[in-house]
Amino acid sequence: MVKPLNRREFLGATVAGATLLLNSCKSTPEAKPAVARTSPHDVIQVALVGYGEEGKVLLESLLNIEGVRVVALCDIWEYHRNEGLRYLQKLGNDVRGYEDFEDMLSKEKGLQTAVIATPDFVHAPMTNASLKAGLHVYCEKMMSNTIEGARSMVQTMRETGRLLQIGHQRRSNPRYLFTLNRLLREAQFCGRVTAAQAQWNRAVKEDFGFPKKYEIPAAQLAKYGYKDMHQFRNWRWYKGLGGGPLSDLGAHQIDIFNWWLGTPTSVIASGGLDYYKNHDWYDNAMVIYEYPMAQGVARAFYQVQTTTSAGGGYFETFMGDDGTIKMSEDPSLCAIYREARATGVSWDDLAQKGYVRLNQSATDDASKVDVRETAQLAEYDIPVFFNKPPHQPHLENFFNAMRGTARLNCPADEAFSSEYVIHKANEAIEAQKKLIITPEEVKA
Amino acid sequence: MYAAQVAQAAFDRVDDLESRLSRFRPQSEIQCIARLLPGQSLRLSEDTFDCLTLARKMEQATRQAFSPTPAALQSQATLPGWSLSPADLSIRCEHGLVNFDLGAIGKGFALDRLAALLRQWECPSFLLIAGGSSIIAGDTPDGFDGWSCGLGDEGAPHRLLLNNASLSGSGVAVKGNHILNPRTGGSAHRQSRAWALCDVAAESDALSTAAMVLPEPELTDVLASEPTWLVLVEDDSQIRTIGKHPVTL
Repeated sequence: MVKPLNRREFLGATVAGATLLLNSCKSTPEAKPAVARTSPHDVIQVALVGYGEEGKVLLESLLNIEGVRVVALCDIWEYHRNEGLRYLQKLGNDVRGYEDFEDMLSKEKGLQTAVIATPDFVHAPMTNASLKAGLHVYCEKMMSNTIEGARSMVQTMRETGRLLQIGHQRRSNPRYLFTLNRLLREAQFCGRVTAAQAQWNRAVKEDFGFPKKYEIPAAQLAKYGYKDMHQFRNWRWYKGLGGGPLSDLGAHQIDIFNWWLGTPTSVIASGGLDYYKNHDWYDNAMVIYEYPMAQGVARAFYQVQTTTSAGGGYFETFMGDDGTIKMSEDPSLCAIYREARATGVSWDDLAQKGYVRLNQSATDDASKVDVRETAQLAEYDIPVFFNKPPHQPHLENFFNAMRGTARLNCPADEAFSSEYVIHKANEAIEAQKKLIITPEEVKA
Repeated sequence: MYAAQVAQAAFDRVDDLESRLSRFRPQSEIQCIARLLPGQSLRLSEDTFDCLTLARKMEQATRQAFSPTPAALQSQATLPGWSLSPADLSIRCEHGLVNFDLGAIGKGFALDRLAALLRQWECPSFLLIAGGSSIIAGDTPDGFDGWSCGLGDEGAPHRLLLNNASLSGSGVAVKGNHILNPRTGGSAHRQSRAWALCDVAAESDALSTAAMVLPEPELTDVLASEPTWLVLVEDDSQIRTIGKHPVTL
């Protein structure tokens, strides 16, 4: 008989178990350095590079993590840089601000790590320089706006022996880890996975602007690779700087496809720049990957729309002949469904193991023997919740790896395969044909 | 173009605040606080910390007629205990379940944040409305005496001219008897409408709710120590003021 766990025990056990199981699945563990130079008790000195939208999100998580201190903040925009410095200083941090990344790297001798949240096109040069300077690096996705740039980051990681974690934060999300390891793999909840679907749709919105008094001089913008202030603020839309919505939004979710299903063998896609007239990248895309599974092909459809928020938010759905798992960073969107034919494992068995949780309110009426309206159907959900910002577990995993107490959940060489197939989707749109992806080309 | 981008920045700011302060978002900081056990702490973003700091101030100033946990007594014997630490922007659950409902201060707080954003974008002349119940006015446009705002239904005869001020209203005419008295867990005292005029929208938002809850002698006493606050109440379609702040209707 399975001994029921209470929620607290259960969470601790499953998250630890999930981590071990995931680590055992890593394809080339010898290629990933996991031993760092910090002792478990050292305060890790961090440089936060880029204090835009993503940098602000990461800082909120960094501030929650014990033994980590942001000592340098770099951003070419004084407006953002000063805001970050004010916030950090308010919290008692002795932090220095830099406009120029190279300047920061040359002056900050006590740094142990760089957390990079800049536009994609400077990820590779900044990451490579940081690794060569002896720092461990947490770099936001996409790794780079080019496949070559991403490949160079893996190469530098290997040459330097430093850690390079890519910011696919769902890979450290306890709910994703639990669902992958317990429900999908161990309990075979979906049975044979035949299809997957994911989306991230956003409503139309204005391009980012800027307060006039904080406009960056043209010469300074040119020095850092931007044509003008509009391009600087909206770099995600421009070729040469970012990768468009497929890389901006799709990267997270296509990475989940790869994490859970392996590497695709082909991609076919359609998309276009049909709505916005002042951008470079497609404003909509629909992509189908083919994943070779043990029992046959699973096709995964991904769509990203920037002209409508329809479709129920952002999620990834894995569909099989026994059941379906719908995942999202938003726990209210997560769901699990079983097919009527799935008889191998009962809901009760799964609930007793703590792998699913019965929504009690839906079953209260069902136990009463009187006649009235039809009772609510029994509902089950995924019993994992964590009281942290979504990025915090991934950053914690990174710092734990620096301390030698964990392995990275998304080292650059693993992230590269996702990176590669996302770039291939953009390529497939342009080529207007199905592209074959070989196992060799997705390896860095 | 610039105005559209300012507006977009403001709407993005609202989305950001909503994601932190809404009790309907499972990952909001307010919901994370609701999961704290006694003795546990949580570091907060600056926005959430500042909003709760204002909520605590208004709770004390209104003698708990406003509370960020207005429904607590419906499920707990006492109001929950919580403390804020400015040094690290954290909150600690002292006792009970800290189920915040910022419905009587959040909109005003968001308006204050948006007003600051607009001034940063060098757009000091504005009128912002949140949900029809709170308004914040910036500088008066050239050639006018102020932003004309009515009290009550459309076409209301009583109007105020606002200049760098905030006006909030509470009442039971639209949503029924929904205002709770945090001190009892029951319904609010007043059965008509009340408005609050302050410099800070978070304060006017909370004060208008407190004005629905407080018996008038106590409300008068509260306002006696806050010269920048004014409450307007509706009695038999007549509006009268309570407080020291001078205003002409």
